[in-house]
Amino acid sequence: MVDTENIQMRGFHNLKDKDGKVWGFQFGLRTGYYKGLWLSQFRAGDAIVDGVRYPKETLLWNIQGIDYTREEMFDRMDQYWQVNDAAYVKVPKPGGLTQGYHDLVIEWGYVSNYNNELEKEYDGSGFGNAGPMMRRAGMGGQQAAPSGSKRRLLLVW
Amino acid sequence: MKRRQFLKSAAGVGAGLVAATAVAERTNAAAQEAKKGKPKRGVSVYSYSQVLGVCMTLEDCFADIYDMGATCFEMLSSHIEGYPNPTTQWIDRYFALCTKYNLQPAEMGHWCETHLHRGPMMTDEQIIANMVRDFKLANLLGFKSLRTKITCINQECDPEAGWERYMEKLLPLAEKYDVQMLSECHRPTLLTRQHITDYLAFAEKHKTKYFGINVDFGTFMHSSVPREQIASGAAQVTLTPLPEGSYSKPEDIIRVLAVNPRTFHAKFNYMDENYEEKTIPYKQILQILIDHGWSGNLVSEYEGPRRNETGYLGDQLRRQQIMMQRMLGY
Repeated sequence: MVDTENIQMRGFHNLKDKDGKVWGFQFGLRTGYYKGLWLSQFRAGDAIVDGVRYPKETLLWNIQGIDYTREEMFDRMDQYWQVNDAAYVKVPKPGGLTQGYHDLVIEWGYVSNYNNELEKEYDGSGFGNAGPMMRRAGMGGQQAAPSGSKRRLLLVW
Repeated sequence: MKRRQFLKSAAGVGAGLVAATAVAERTNAAAQEAKKGKPKRGVSVYSYSQVLGVCMTLEDCFADIYDMGATCFEMLSSHIEGYPNPTTQWIDRYFALCTKYNLQPAEMGHWCETHLHRGPMMTDEQIIANMVRDFKLANLLGFKSLRTKITCINQECDPEAGWERYMEKLLPLAEKYDVQMLSECHRPTLLTRQHITDYLAFAEKHKTKYFGINVDFGTFMHSSVPREQIASGAAQVTLTPLPEGSYSKPEDIIRVLAVNPRTFHAKFNYMDENYEEKTIPYKQILQILIDHGWSGNLVSEYEGPRRNETGYLGDQLRRQQIMMQRMLGY
């Protein structure tokens, strides 16, 4: 089972390399949309953590155990991100985050080619024709919002 | 008077005529009755999309559908674990659930994607390869109809140019896997819209039963109800009529029946405590379907508020199933 929120409580951790050195942190995200997405339909934006912006080009998206850059996802029209699978956003930050609460924001959107106009940015530079998205509190639905998904979460390790 | 003598008498001739007429009327009535449709009641797992995987499993959904007396279901590709390549374990489990809860697969919702990469439209070969993958999966899982979302260019779902070209190539493949592709006519699209006419003309031109329309009953929605009233559970709700011409009329569904669509979406917005859906003319719609001999699957699609509350959602679905049960008589 997943969290009701887009940003998931489980999976928020610092990341260590093979020598035990902390090189960044990660958190989980599910879209909350009723339809799964082919990775090529996803439009990843920046992460903003405690007010610090981490550019989309520096992030890795781990989906079903495989790391993808934003650019790599554009070519994966064969990989499906199912509705209740969390993707783990890996954010490079030497030393990671301190134990305690942090404010997480992730910007994202996607392409949904029905009930809608086609995507205007043919190079994928935007948030698709259905983004940016965030969960509408209490209603369980989706609406466009400029800030992506956000949540205040407690980091244990 | 013996029977033979009676029949020869004037009274006998008259009585014989009356009897013959009665028999003919009964036969005629029986024939008319036999022509009437027997739609099946089902539920779309879409109704559970806010709770499936959050606090309900697929088995919970199946158990709930069975519990309210429905006999078939719609599932979206989004509900198939491991889609597009579910494991054999998942498939075994799926069939075990169908057996356990006595549910028949009705329709698989999927998408005919034409822009899975940046830039222009995909080639026909790419589009068809993805569609055939879904045909095979639907066939494997026992679905006879597909709610096929065709790539469109606006909220009325007018299709992207080129649909006839790839759809023509898909027809024999759909027939091979016995899956009927149904494009959904969904509010705000009207059943009189030009692209619906074009789709029906396409099916007629190709003399196919493998392409048609899944009518989402939201297209018949003639009044709105404030979501706040529904969400608060108000006993009395305020109906606001929608502008004439902004919704389909029940009789508009008749021309769609020509290809005998196997599944329709029994969309609803709010069921009151008297089991009435006051925004959609269900009684008239179902009567038309019955009178025209339609025996497809009616799958409940709840799209009102509080879908993320299992109790509220389950109650709304049950009220709607009671409404349809009473109208259908079973």
